[in-house]
Amino acid sequence: MACRKAKKTNRLWKFVVSSLGWLVIALPFTPLLAADNLETRGYVISMVHTAAYVDDQTCPAGTNGTRPDVLIRRVMSEGYGEEEAISIINSVRINGGRDDAGNLVGTAITLGGGASYTGDQSWNDFDFNPANVPSAMPDPNAFNATGRFAFGLNLDGEEGPDSWEHPNTGARGIDNQMWRVLGCWDAYHVNKPVIPYNESIAWDTAVDAMPAWLISISGEDLNQDGPVTVTFDRALNIPLRDAYGSIMSGASFAVDTNPRSHNEFNGQIKDSVLTIEPGDFYIQGESQFYPHLQFFNTQLRFEMKDDGSMEGHLGGYQPWRDYYHYLSVRGETDGAIDLIGIFYDLKRFADASPDPRTGENAAISSAYFIEAVPAFHVDDTGSLLAESVGQGPKFSGPAVSQYTEQ
Amino acid sequence: MNSYLQPITSKTKNNGCTKFGVLFSLLLCLTPDVMSQAKGAESAANSNSEQVTFVRLTSDQYRNTIHDIFGESIEVRGNAASTGVREAGLIAVGGRKITLSALELEAYEILALDIAEQILQPSRRNTLLGCTPDDDALADQECAEQFIGAVGLHLFRRPLMESEIDSFAAMAQSATQTLGNFYIGLQAALVGMMVSPDFLFRIERSVANLESPGSRQLDAWSRASRLSFFLWDSTPSPALLEAARSGTLMTESGLNQQVEQMMTSAKIEDGLRAFFADMLAFDRFDTLDIDANLYPRFTKNVEDEAREQTLRTIADQLLIKELDYRDLFDARQTFLTPALAALYGVPIPIRQELGGTVPWVPYEFPEGNARVGLLGQVTFLSLFSHPGASSPTLRGKAVREHLLCQTIPPPPPDVDFSLVRDADNANFKTVRDRLAEHRSNPTCAGCHTLMDPIGLALEIFDASGVHRTSENGAQIDTSGQWAGQNYEGVSDLVQLLKDDPTLTSCLIQRVYSYGTAREPNSSELQWLNTTHAQLRNEGVHWRELMQRISRNPDFYTVPNSTEMEF
Repeated sequence: MACRKAKKTNRLWKFVVSSLGWLVIALPFTPLLAADNLETRGYVISMVHTAAYVDDQTCPAGTNGTRPDVLIRRVMSEGYGEEEAISIINSVRINGGRDDAGNLVGTAITLGGGASYTGDQSWNDFDFNPANVPSAMPDPNAFNATGRFAFGLNLDGEEGPDSWEHPNTGARGIDNQMWRVLGCWDAYHVNKPVIPYNESIAWDTAVDAMPAWLISISGEDLNQDGPVTVTFDRALNIPLRDAYGSIMSGASFAVDTNPRSHNEFNGQIKDSVLTIEPGDFYIQGESQFYPHLQFFNTQLRFEMKDDGSMEGHLGGYQPWRDYYHYLSVRGETDGAIDLIGIFYDLKRFADASPDPRTGENAAISSAYFIEAVPAFHVDDTGSLLAESVGQGPKFSGPAVSQYTEQ
Repeated sequence: MNSYLQPITSKTKNNGCTKFGVLFSLLLCLTPDVMSQAKGAESAANSNSEQVTFVRLTSDQYRNTIHDIFGESIEVRGNAASTGVREAGLIAVGGRKITLSALELEAYEILALDIAEQILQPSRRNTLLGCTPDDDALADQECAEQFIGAVGLHLFRRPLMESEIDSFAAMAQSATQTLGNFYIGLQAALVGMMVSPDFLFRIERSVANLESPGSRQLDAWSRASRLSFFLWDSTPSPALLEAARSGTLMTESGLNQQVEQMMTSAKIEDGLRAFFADMLAFDRFDTLDIDANLYPRFTKNVEDEAREQTLRTIADQLLIKELDYRDLFDARQTFLTPALAALYGVPIPIRQELGGTVPWVPYEFPEGNARVGLLGQVTFLSLFSHPGASSPTLRGKAVREHLLCQTIPPPPPDVDFSLVRDADNANFKTVRDRLAEHRSNPTCAGCHTLMDPIGLALEIFDASGVHRTSENGAQIDTSGQWAGQNYEGVSDLVQLLKDDPTLTSCLIQRVYSYGTAREPNSSELQWLNTTHAQLRNEGVHWRELMQRISRNPDFYTVPNSTEMEF
């Protein structure tokens, strides 16, 4: 697989500096209702996961499998045959990951969460958790996604050799190198209504404990085409669930006045599709899996539904270590991936924000599926900032993903 | 620890051990004997008294009583009381006809055992017991009798006879000797008292009314109980019991003084909540089963919060704001939680912290919003719906029966409901259409004409209480007629309802029946009619109504047996 280091402008570093500036200066919170003649609709994000799309061209040579496959390959890389590798893995909880001769097999471990429970030493012959220093292990050279189609957005306005074509809209020049990294892992090798396994669980867990992520749209008439202002904010309260486990539509959320998670974009609605002008994006999370979500050169394409909800893709150049951090917290058991392989591939396919010193790209083009349902936004005094419009979908959020049509 | 128990005396003490398995077995053997002794003590309070009625404590009354006597820190972990039967519109009236099954008695015994164990824990016993034995392993007759006498006064709501004290003390002594611990022995006696009919039932006794020869009235202890459970939904306070003991409660001034003092207590809200939970048929929550598949916003939390919303709103309107009862039907002020607000589709100011209690936020529905008064709340709308569909008939029937004290006869046994239930019928898209067709059957028309128009005005709310404007794509028509006057929707309907004197006369009659646990007799009805006429002009205010009833000597009069139905 060719390794490309596209030399995008070094916007990540500008973005970081810019974000710090926000924190230090603490600019006054901008009210969402800018003028009396504007209609403002509120939403709460009910689902987030990487935008997965597969067809028969995605992994023509096969997929990377899941955790047992990772372990077997990892043991085989030390010179064991497949049967012996399977034997070592099968009995790892009994003999601590030793071969028939009693030799400790260092790589017979699952990295990340749960690693310390395998083997008779914490890290089977390692003095450290290799997930924290992945470059200490060899690149397993996992399969990467190929083909013509993938979800995402055209982040650079260009159509290049690494670009995809959007499978639904036919848009070309889609930038989503993250998908090349993830698309051939079985957990990600899915189409809706199936959601990448670990992200489904991660969001399902986070959403009950994390202050909600909010979106608002302001414009003269949101039922018509025209310019709008789009905001993303963090709430002070968590979402509610309905009897299905869906995120309840029509709930009230207090908008966090801390500017750190406030994002504002110029956008437009055309034919019930919402898009924005590119900009920086940062929103703080509050779970062990999502400390934050950040992009630069952020774009989105959301379809506005008749029931008042929206869904589509949000993407941009994401610091690739953010995603590696997420997966390493999840661990290989829950993540169902090879952390070492992911590390090398994220580094390899990163396509933006070169480090001024090393030239290594720090960000990777990526796209996330977003679903948002109607919600009221209020300020900390209780004044209404955004209306909840529409009943929302019957099914939303992680618990009912199997019902989602797409 | 706030409790009605006062320390008595103090003796020496030793530590013991607990043997509850043995204790429970012992209690099972001893209880029938205790019950027969307690029942035989019916003339305990007054040798001339006559046992009139047994009214079983509700689960709330049981809990309130335990907390008042022994302190809020005592946990009542369970609910042994069954809901009971509704009669004359009230569970309270049906309560006088409830007996106790062996299974329920066992449940009460388990509950009592847990409570007794908590009461006599080392950390509490010194406060609640007031005396200590010379040796924990041995019986202490004097200390046991002191405790039994003091606790018995509050549990039985009257002084115990010597024979009763002796009986429970003997039980304590027997258990102490068997189990080798004074406190466990005392637990046995305490449990024995708590499974006695004298505790589980309000046993009202009458004495001759000397001011009205030939008539009878409740004795002083029964008067104290009736007043206390009526106003506070709990057992009489020490002050009230003292007024009963001294006899001042039987005088007009003494009674008025007690009523006045009780009306200033925060416990008056407990009494209000208990009454409206009964009148508004909250027992239906026990079997409420709104289909989550059709109404996913109606979660269990929402159900619990809806119940609290209604009671909180009533308490706020009638006790805090001191509004007229009629105002409950078009009030726009209420209290919401985040989940209720989402179901109602309105924004509320919110800042719910993780792990915090559910916040209740005052909320006022804007003018023009159809969500007015009690009839627009989730409680009423869901309690009187089918699991999978709203029901104009059930809602209309509820208004007639629970709010207007009218009786709708049950449907004849051979009625064909298939069209009414056929919600997918393309020829009858709305339930209004289907009910109109149903009413074309003259057998059905008589009752449905009374019920359906009221319920159809509420059709803009589905079975879970969520607002809607159409059914099967057809616009919902909420218009109708009440007492010959047209209305366009629920806002108009409640105004007509407020103007109907039946609404307030029903309340006053229900409150009176709730207090006496029976329907009023003819002379009482006369007093109620007079009171209603006055209050309708002056304002039907809760405190005033409760005071008038509580101060009315007839409230404590025992009707002749020919006037009563047992």
